[in-house]
Amino acid sequence: MLHYRNRKFLLIVSILLIIGILAIYSASSVWANLKFNDEFYYMKRQVIFATIGVIVMYIVSYYDVSKLRKYAYWFFSFCIILMVLVLIPGIGSERNGSMSWFKIGPVLFQPSEFLKLALIMVVSDKLSKKRKIRKLKDVYDIMGLCLLSFGLIMLQPDFGSGVVMLSAIVIMVIVAGIPMKYFVYVVIIGSIAIVFLIMSAPYRMSRILAFIDPFSDPLGAGFQSIQSLYAIAPGGIMGMGFQNSMQKQFYLPEPHTDFIFAIIAEEMGFIGGGFLVLVFGLLFKEGLRIIKNVEDKYLKYIVIGIMALFIIQVIINLCVVVGLFPITGVT
Amino acid sequence: MRRKSWNRLKIIEYAGYLLFGAIICKLMYLQSYKQAEIGEKALDLWERSFPIAASRGSIVDRNFGVLAYDIPSTSVMVVPSQIDNKETTAMTLSNILNADYQTILTKISNHVSTQKLNPEGRLLTEEEELAIKNANLGGVYLVRDVKRHYPNHFFLSQVLGFTGVDNQGLSGLELAYDEILQGSSGSLNIPFDAKGNKIDIVEESWTSSGSGNILMLTIDSTIQGIIERELNNAMLTYEPDQAWAIAMNPNTGEILAMVSKPDFDPNDYQAYDIEVINRNLPIFNSYEPGSTFKIISFAAALNENVIDMENETYMDIGYEIVNGARIKSWKAGGHGLQTFLEVLQNSSNPGFVEISRRLGIETLYNYVKAFGFGDKTNIDLVGESSGIFFSLDRMSELEAATTAFGQGISLTAIQLVSAVSATVNGGYLYEPYITKAILHPLTYDVLYENEPKVVRQVISEETSFKMRYALEHVVALGGGRQAYIEGYRIGGKTGTAQKAKNGAYMENEYILSFIGVAPIDNPQIVLYIAMDNPTNNIQYGGTVVAPIAKKCLTDILPYMNIPTVTEQLPKTYNWNEIKSYMVDNYIGLSVDDVDSKHFKFVFNGEGDYVVSQLPMSGTYMKSGGEIWLYLGNDEIK
Repeated sequence: MLHYRNRKFLLIVSILLIIGILAIYSASSVWANLKFNDEFYYMKRQVIFATIGVIVMYIVSYYDVSKLRKYAYWFFSFCIILMVLVLIPGIGSERNGSMSWFKIGPVLFQPSEFLKLALIMVVSDKLSKKRKIRKLKDVYDIMGLCLLSFGLIMLQPDFGSGVVMLSAIVIMVIVAGIPMKYFVYVVIIGSIAIVFLIMSAPYRMSRILAFIDPFSDPLGAGFQSIQSLYAIAPGGIMGMGFQNSMQKQFYLPEPHTDFIFAIIAEEMGFIGGGFLVLVFGLLFKEGLRIIKNVEDKYLKYIVIGIMALFIIQVIINLCVVVGLFPITGVT
Repeated sequence: MRRKSWNRLKIIEYAGYLLFGAIICKLMYLQSYKQAEIGEKALDLWERSFPIAASRGSIVDRNFGVLAYDIPSTSVMVVPSQIDNKETTAMTLSNILNADYQTILTKISNHVSTQKLNPEGRLLTEEEELAIKNANLGGVYLVRDVKRHYPNHFFLSQVLGFTGVDNQGLSGLELAYDEILQGSSGSLNIPFDAKGNKIDIVEESWTSSGSGNILMLTIDSTIQGIIERELNNAMLTYEPDQAWAIAMNPNTGEILAMVSKPDFDPNDYQAYDIEVINRNLPIFNSYEPGSTFKIISFAAALNENVIDMENETYMDIGYEIVNGARIKSWKAGGHGLQTFLEVLQNSSNPGFVEISRRLGIETLYNYVKAFGFGDKTNIDLVGESSGIFFSLDRMSELEAATTAFGQGISLTAIQLVSAVSATVNGGYLYEPYITKAILHPLTYDVLYENEPKVVRQVISEETSFKMRYALEHVVALGGGRQAYIEGYRIGGKTGTAQKAKNGAYMENEYILSFIGVAPIDNPQIVLYIAMDNPTNNIQYGGTVVAPIAKKCLTDILPYMNIPTVTEQLPKTYNWNEIKSYMVDNYIGLSVDDVDSKHFKFVFNGEGDYVVSQLPMSGTYMKSGGEIWLYLGNDEIK
């Protein structure tokens, strides 16, 4: 169908798409029925977005993406403007305490999602132009762009998105060959920044504590962690069966978004949950193969950035759901 | 640069695999190792428990006769959040249950996870159960319940008490032993979503309920039944305000029977006055005993050797003056010269004034306290009174004198029965008890057994022996004659006490009583009967209550397999009383040898020898009665 040779990658994406649609259906049907009197409501949306995604993928696969390179800074500037606009009450909308949404008709979108892509594009452009990165001053420009983007995201605030975005850029810079000592600095500064951010918002601290022992505050900060564990553990090896989740029956908050993996693990057991993690692992592996095969330097960085963005997001989400990371609100 | 970049990608790749691996490991850990532990907690979250009533332990008498048990039943329970149309459901339920619509509506609209419909929807009839099943109402459940049943209805009602809507003990033994009788409730666990709707993803589960233990009483249903019957008859005949009785084994303190009239049916306790329910008269009612108390002062005097009952005499001139107060004998002009034994027989109040003087205030006081008066007996029942007794510093000669013949002191029947038992059993005051044992509900293994408990020895064995002798004389020759039974040696004493109200004696209101001990040479039972304000009679304990006690004992003693005796202290007879004599054996005698001073003979059949007779030898018959003899030709050896 597609001219691109990587059939394996396509197969993995298709599997993830199908699992995604089925999982969203099962995890959301109870809520959808209650809110919209239509158990397929969220599934339909997922099908529409997936279809759009597949179409875009099809088009992009025939398109020389490197032609978009010259629009990168315009796109980035546009995103920065959106990021400012979203902070203005009346233009942006607040959800779960963050001013990160635009609401256009029935469609909600976060400008930060586009900003992530735009930042990757401009950073890829910068990195591909640099001959060598020996000193920190070689990446001052990239650091400036990151600081601007991260700062705007934190004004919403959306800590999770900010961390994912920065992590993706850090991966790109590491691959670009920055001396590891700077990376060590980055880690140190980053850690201090994270500690500072955690201290600045009490809810983050309580989430950290709840992560250490969710049962210490079962109705407060530990609530989501516990509800997630109550979904995963009873699933056992074989799972409770498709559609048979108990926790999606209004016990686990966000069963079809942040915590969908918990519901998958509950219904499909370790067999299903482990399989899904494995498929993500394969996606990661195939992504790396693509990176190695891409000749164009700019495109290589684009692929690294997008893969990093995606995989980091997957890993953080899965780790939060199974209780390896504290809950951050990373989607 | 390319080389370096390649290596760094490799590191990132392995770091990625490591993280994916960690996620899989954590998933494995949660879904296998932790599955049971967290799964259990999750189940607690998902399920709502509908209680399954535990079977309450039965209450049985000393011979395993059942006095109270549980009948399985069904009750309604609702989950308000599952009822879509509250009005329709309330209407249907109120129609089926014949209950108020508003009450039902309020209950099923409560914001609770589960709601019992008590008492409207409790213990359904089969028709109601079927109707609810057929109505198929959402959110309405039928759960297993139990209903307490008292097969003998009025029998022993104040002692047993009753249970409330949740089968919890509310009065009597049901209350006192609630924890032991209660079983552990089970539950039906039904999975719900977080909004309270029933879902069938997880299977419903049961936790079975455990039965409560069996409570075995010292009560003997046969003896209880006899006394209940006689007091019921007395209630009809004499129409007293109330009547009560206790039968006790004097050698252990075990209560064999405890009766309180008026009574109630614990199956239908709502229909009765709360005072009737709560007042277990033998332990609750505190009153002046009258002459029955003379047993106590007499025993004290014997034990202190201040009287020689057979050889010493006292002259009853009809009164005694104590501290200026004139204490009269009940018989105008007094009983004249009498031995102290006759003082007791005749129930001579002036005689007891003399006894109180000989004892002295403090000694008498100490004996009264030692016999347990003024303190609760600690019987294992709720609602016991302690009675009222003077404190020593407030006791003058006059109080001592009246106490000696049973006035100015207030006591309960159980105190008196325990004390009198002590006078005849060798001198030991036992703590009375009504719970014999606690048994396992299935195996009947004894989990706990109540042992007789001696509080103290009050009088010596020798004094006790003298007391038995004296009490037999009272029944054979004195005021207790109406309780005399041919063939059984009975001891006892009657009592007639004027009722006091607000510190003054009431005209023509008496508590009549009799306390009996049988058989007197080896006491097995102490029976006390009292009647409060009987009408239609001459108000003396001897004429009214003693015959009731006699009727009871006539049935009780053969049941207890107490052998009849051929020699007993003969009764004295009033002019209008016909004497009874024992029938001799005539079987085997030749016709010519048949002879009797007291009876006539009727011969049946033909022959030279008696082969059978009616009545049989050893029974008593009134003088002049006929004995039927059957004749044959064989000489029976």
